[in-house]
Amino acid sequence: MRNSVANLIKEKAKTDKNLFLITGDAGLGVWDTFKLEHSRQYINPGVNESLCVGMAAGMALMGHKVIYYNIAPFVIMRPYEQIRNDICYQELPVILVGTGSGVTYAPAGMTHYAVEDIGIARTMPNLNIFSPADPIEARASFEYAYSSKNPSYIRLPKSGEPTIHISQEIDITKLQIIKPGKDVLLLTHSSMIEEVQKAQTALKSENINATVATMPMLNSKDSSLLNAVRQHTHIFVCEEHFASGGLGSILIDRLNTEGVLKQVHKIAIKNKYIHAIGDRSYIRQYYGIDSKSINKSVLKALKRG
Amino acid sequence: MDTIVKNIRKEILNIAYLSKSPHVGSALSCVEILSTLYFKVLNIKKPINIDRDRFILSKAHAAMALYATLYHKGFLEKKGLYGYYQNGGTLPAHTDRFTHEYVEISAGSLGHGLPIGLGIAHAMKLQGNGSNVFVLMGDGEMQEGSIWEAAMLAPKLNLTNLTVFVDHNNLQGYGRATELVEFYPVEEKWQSFGWDTQTINGHDSNAIENATNKKSDKPKAIICKTTKGKGVSFMENELKWHYYIVTKEHLEKAINELSV
Repeated sequence: MRNSVANLIKEKAKTDKNLFLITGDAGLGVWDTFKLEHSRQYINPGVNESLCVGMAAGMALMGHKVIYYNIAPFVIMRPYEQIRNDICYQELPVILVGTGSGVTYAPAGMTHYAVEDIGIARTMPNLNIFSPADPIEARASFEYAYSSKNPSYIRLPKSGEPTIHISQEIDITKLQIIKPGKDVLLLTHSSMIEEVQKAQTALKSENINATVATMPMLNSKDSSLLNAVRQHTHIFVCEEHFASGGLGSILIDRLNTEGVLKQVHKIAIKNKYIHAIGDRSYIRQYYGIDSKSINKSVLKALKRG
Repeated sequence: MDTIVKNIRKEILNIAYLSKSPHVGSALSCVEILSTLYFKVLNIKKPINIDRDRFILSKAHAAMALYATLYHKGFLEKKGLYGYYQNGGTLPAHTDRFTHEYVEISAGSLGHGLPIGLGIAHAMKLQGNGSNVFVLMGDGEMQEGSIWEAAMLAPKLNLTNLTVFVDHNNLQGYGRATELVEFYPVEEKWQSFGWDTQTINGHDSNAIENATNKKSDKPKAIICKTTKGKGVSFMENELKWHYYIVTKEHLEKAINELSV
């Protein structure tokens, strides 16, 4: 996913000389060709996140399209107030690209995880929030952000995730039905799609035909999400994010606002600092968000477990 | 210039009294810096010109000084000025760029103006635009880490179009900058980061103009020695006038002093 976005940025930079990339001394190997081919448009100010965001705001005030790239915690947490005041409050269409969503970088430790970034991003009213599940969604997210008048935050896991969409042309503002089913809706985003797909397969053997869907633009106001919720009896939001503040919370708020009475089961990481050590699969298992845990949670909710 | 400076001070006191807003001392401290820039230095016109120089008020709690200067320059209507800090009014205590076209940035949290100013200055260079950026910050504001992030980068980017004014009145919200931190040596701090540094009397318009016009192949930092509450005897160098509210008696006494 990271490479598909990086390649798209490179493509844009060829024709759009107004586009600038600020990297907070991050992205080893990702920007080598960009740096060579578009040296004027490449800025690495160093390890100074507040400056990166303030500088991006200043350049955007002068009419430039600016992308700030770093690992997710250094994109949205360290310079949170700069994003709030300098980018969002000033309504500047800067694109923030954060890699290492969730616990992608495990066992790097809590400082390098982004399991509360959606909760933080949600506090900024005009910020588009994207958490794509495959390279096609990632590209579509960037395309939307690129032409949006609002600022955007795109959180990506890393590179090498498989493509799940068949069509290249998707409407990123809508719910993406990956596998249609009935009764049970497994809603997810980012690389958790792999766990959800596995769970869906396992549930089939229990005669449960679950729908798998992704919501790449987390705060999209499109009605497709609520329509899908209405069409299913059991809703599960599976995410590599704290249970409070993520897509589950976004959905519950929306249902509440729209007066839709439906229970939403959150399969997410408990709001506690992560001290467990292990790779992403291990951490998912440890916190009960891997495919087996999803399977169990669904069966339990359906009282078959 | 003297009359302009006095009139701006009077206007600051008027709107501070009408609005019962704090930070009058901070606003009075930087009147010569703002008036010299707007009346003698900045390329900025009416109607607003896209190729203008940018003035970034990083110490945005002194917004009254900016509003009063814009008013005397003819960029801001009286109605706009007097809607300052009022319910349903026109201008907030800390700047919001959507409230007026001559307010360049939304600010109020310290340490934001210089990184933004650096971005603007860099964009101007990239665009081959010969304009300049002037950032005004407080001396207490130098305690913000983001200032030094930008200070370290600006010379590297060769931002000769960027000038920083430090309003060194040595009184911040709850103390003196020189007592709270190792403030001195201050010129040397900026110098060692690669800036062309000068220390001047921040209430001397000629000195401000000369320091600003000095040719240099580096970004410039101008330490302006100032007095908080300048121009009003009972407000000068008094910590309480960071937050104190101007009463009718204060206003009358202050206006009398400024009318001499």
